[in-house]
Amino acid sequence: MSSGHGTAKAAVLINAYTWIFDIRMMLQALTKKIWQWLGSIKLTIVILLLLVVDMVIGYWCLDRRTTIFQPLGDVGLFQWTSTYGLHNLLFTAWFFVLLGLLAMLTINTFICTTEKVITLLSRKRSFHLGRFWLRLAPHIMHYAIIVVLAGYLSSYMLADVHPGQTLVPGASLTIPNTNIHIKFSSYEPHYYQGKRLDFFHDWVIDPGAGLTISSSTVQRTAILSYNKPVRYQGYTIILKNFYPKKKGGMSPRVYINLSIRKDPGVVFYFSGMLLFAAGLLIYVFLWVYLKTEGRR
Amino acid sequence: MINPQQFFFIAATAYAASGAAAVTRRGRTVTILFLLIGMAFNSIAVGLRYWHAWPMMPMHLGPLALPLCLGIFSLTGGLRSKEKNNRTGLELRLLPALLLLSALPAVFFPKDYYLPFLKSNTIFSHIFFLFSVLGKTCFLIGALKAVVYLHSRKNGRAADQEPGLDKTMHWVIWGFAFWTLSMFSGGIWSYLGWGTPVVWEDAAITITMATWFYYICLLHLHLTGTWNMRKRALFTIIGTFAILGLNCHPDMGPLRLPF
Repeated sequence: MSSGHGTAKAAVLINAYTWIFDIRMMLQALTKKIWQWLGSIKLTIVILLLLVVDMVIGYWCLDRRTTIFQPLGDVGLFQWTSTYGLHNLLFTAWFFVLLGLLAMLTINTFICTTEKVITLLSRKRSFHLGRFWLRLAPHIMHYAIIVVLAGYLSSYMLADVHPGQTLVPGASLTIPNTNIHIKFSSYEPHYYQGKRLDFFHDWVIDPGAGLTISSSTVQRTAILSYNKPVRYQGYTIILKNFYPKKKGGMSPRVYINLSIRKDPGVVFYFSGMLLFAAGLLIYVFLWVYLKTEGRR
Repeated sequence: MINPQQFFFIAATAYAASGAAAVTRRGRTVTILFLLIGMAFNSIAVGLRYWHAWPMMPMHLGPLALPLCLGIFSLTGGLRSKEKNNRTGLELRLLPALLLLSALPAVFFPKDYYLPFLKSNTIFSHIFFLFSVLGKTCFLIGALKAVVYLHSRKNGRAADQEPGLDKTMHWVIWGFAFWTLSMFSGGIWSYLGWGTPVVWEDAAITITMATWFYYICLLHLHLTGTWNMRKRALFTIIGTFAILGLNCHPDMGPLRLPF
């Protein structure tokens, strides 16, 4: 009796184990399929085509409505989404679709590239060195894109931005939550003296605003101008606007308008761009070189 | 002040004459002669616009510079070959038409003279502009080569006699490289001038990105052989004209309504 009971119990156990094993195998197969699907080239093509369509729609939404998107750089992604983004959904929906597509593209690129790089590295010895780098270069560009996108995302999510800081000569401001003081110490503009553009004659072409920046440890002076931001202890000071724009204008009042940013994304997106450019140069150089060699 | 636009009208007329000579098969010399005249006047127009605006970047110069760049690349590239075959013959007939097509937006737009803006006073704005024109030129020549390839296929020339899509992809890869460098230069300019990775003041940024994604897609289709050559050639032609047509839109200036 007890022997029969034991055999039945063993049979149930075996069935349960087989069942668990089957489920595990199924899950593994499913995971593998999802993994393969997420890293497939067909998905890449679909995402890229959708991105093209989405960005073309974005152009028509953005054209002549740039004021909706301009605050994005100042207030960050979360605040912009809850204000401008959600209140102008007809013109901003493409942007949210863009974020989703870029997230998909990042996953797809990472999986596809990682699989290919592993295979390529395992077969490294079977390739001529030039051919190996020619095959590796696109993957360098793929990883670089991920770094650039991560940089952009962190820039819009984590940047500490203080826009609209106005200074008159002699005045100073303190960057919030720091002991960094910025003083507008001098104003030495350069004027357009050429005769090629009559309208520009005596207009300021280079504002040349002198700043004295100090903290508890260091003090330095710097000249701030358009396209010449000043960097100090991780902060970037950008000249947004200035006045007067012309020599001998109606009003002698002078002021500068600054935007101060501490942006952790900058390092990432510039590193990514550098990496991408390196990958691109390697690819183009080897592609031309091997083609020329092949002709010989 | 000498108006560069007048020189461009002469250039566009010469391109039209070149096109007419090509269509009526007046001969290679006449076609190229008119092309060269057009390019000479086009160079003066571009040079004058730059001379006026320097050190800033001239506004809406793209449509003016594109035909010139297209002519230079075509004449110094495949078309200098004296080898007479149907392929170069077709390219030579199509090239003036392409030049004229790319010159049309600059004939009618922008409908005003726009002063350059101060923030374009940086080397990165010039690199951004130059590489974007080079990129567009390469993409257009790539599309032209794809047309020739499809024509060859239709006429039953075997694949071993034709280079397939290699010539097309050669130009597309160069175009992609230039376009990428243009975008990165724009990224650096954006950081220096505005402190942000993307400048949302200009809607053209989205079309630039769309173009970049489009050519990434084309390169993936080519390098992985996902579609057959005919489909890829069609994709190159249709996409190039669609996407570069859209790129022309912001270059037409604010007075481009009702478009």
